Amino acid sequence: MAAASRGWRRLARPLAVTLLLVVCYGAIITPFASYMRNKPFVEKLGTLPRVEVLRAIAADQKQVVAEGLILDVLMYFGGLLGKEKGKVVVPPDFQAMSRLLHGAVQLDPYNMDAYYFAQAILVWDVDQVKLANNLLDYGMKYRSWDWYLPFFAGFNYGYFLKDYPQAAKYYMKAGELSGNELFINLAGRYLNESGQNDLAIAYLKTMAKGAKNKVMWESLTTRLKALEAMRAIGTARDAFHNATGRLPSSVQQLLYAGYLQEIPKDPYGGTFYLAADGTVKTTSNLAYPVKKKQ
Amino acid sequence: MFDIVRITVKGIFRDRVFHGILMAALLLPLIPSISQLSMRQVTELSVTLSLSLISFILLLLAVFLGGTSLWKDMERRYTFSVLSLPITRTTYLLGRFFGVALFLLITAAVLGFVASVVVTIVAGNFPPDRPVVWNNIYLCVLFDAFKYILLLAVAVLFSTVSTSFFLPIFGTISAFLVGSASQQVYDYVHSSSGQVLSPLVRQAATALYYVLPNFSAFDLKVNAIYGVPLSTGGIVLTVCYLVVYAAVLLSVAAIIFSKREMK
Repeated sequence: MAAASRGWRRLARPLAVTLLLVVCYGAIITPFASYMRNKPFVEKLGTLPRVEVLRAIAADQKQVVAEGLILDVLMYFGGLLGKEKGKVVVPPDFQAMSRLLHGAVQLDPYNMDAYYFAQAILVWDVDQVKLANNLLDYGMKYRSWDWYLPFFAGFNYGYFLKDYPQAAKYYMKAGELSGNELFINLAGRYLNESGQNDLAIAYLKTMAKGAKNKVMWESLTTRLKALEAMRAIGTARDAFHNATGRLPSSVQQLLYAGYLQEIPKDPYGGTFYLAADGTVKTTSNLAYPVKKKQ
Repeated sequence: MFDIVRITVKGIFRDRVFHGILMAALLLPLIPSISQLSMRQVTELSVTLSLSLISFILLLLAVFLGGTSLWKDMERRYTFSVLSLPITRTTYLLGRFFGVALFLLITAAVLGFVASVVVTIVAGNFPPDRPVVWNNIYLCVLFDAFKYILLLAVAVLFSTVSTSFFLPIFGTISAFLVGSASQQVYDYVHSSSGQVLSPLVRQAATALYYVLPNFSAFDLKVNAIYGVPLSTGGIVLTVCYLVVYAAVLLSVAAIIFSKREMK
């Protein structure tokens, strides 16, 4: 008993020191964690070394390094979406995101996640359609069996760049690879601009159906909801035009005239309106409002 | 020689280094949950992670077992008692090499089996767009083992010239990094953008390319993960390359080891 208590007494000092150090750790960990959380994206990742260097260092682990870069981008983007109830507050650093994705496909040209992310996010939120198409062309050289890549490219050409012959060409390719008649039909329909909204909806549905990631799924379905709302207004406008022979002056007029049950809400927080030529538009421009970081 | 092979394999199972490295294999069951981070290629990511982990474990085993096996024997003066037996030093050296090589193959087989279970589970929950090509995955694991057997031969060679374990361990790691990048350096030097380099640098890089072991040939990950078809001719050539290159390394190691003075 006495020996045991002597043993404890001998331990008293080291125990006190350890306890003190644990308290110090507790004091420092909260500011440290908050510092790490608020570090800017590029700082967080450091700048990417040249791809040749990265490839040499990665030795036989190139695929893991590539996937790591893509997940960094995804988590960064998901983190931004998560803040302030789904509203992007900090302007995302699209340049850095695009740079990382390009680095990733040079390490692993087969990685579908990179092409998918570039297509689902970069194309819509920044004007990087041509860059995305170059990326897709690069991917098609490797993923020669994959109909998703020409499907994406066809959509970009048709919807964003209004280059219908190119769009049709890529849709044909997607149709050949998938054996799916739908794409061949789409290729034909793409030559008709009036079908654009329907096409965008069909496209987003395909994208969202395969989305296994929650952030990605939410991002796509939000866009899908907005486009479906715009289609509803467009259908009402056409009905109004057919009945009266003139274009409605506003969305409200469609409501009062009974062509709309209610004015659909823009999930991005904007308001739908009719442009002078009757096109359905929204004040949000299909993107969350971006505020500058304080 | 078979006795030495047997003793080597038995010894490794009792080795603490092996136990430590085996801890890394506990990460394999975590792969199904990590793979779900992927947006569009969950199964492919599970294959990637499994193969990477296997490759990493085999690398550690090859470096540490290969780099310390001979050194430990000499340090503990086991070599004296062993070499007093009626066997040549070459037999002893080869016995050690084949023992560790056999062990690497056994480890690869066991880890490959666990990985196939992991990938099957993931593929069941998240069916991939294209079916998993199992033959490519098994071949990839086998060639990983081959790659590290070649690295093991490098480690054995370093062990015969060194009196400490620093050269075998760090020399082998450097050889692995350089040997994994040599193909890229060679391709770069001979590409149009490599023409800006001075002819001397280009020739030196070419010479090194032919002398150093080429580990990138054994990397079949792309074929395993994405089901890209393999070329039979390339596979056969790579196996021939392994046999000839390892044989050259081992014969040089045997010459040095036979001439070496044991204190």
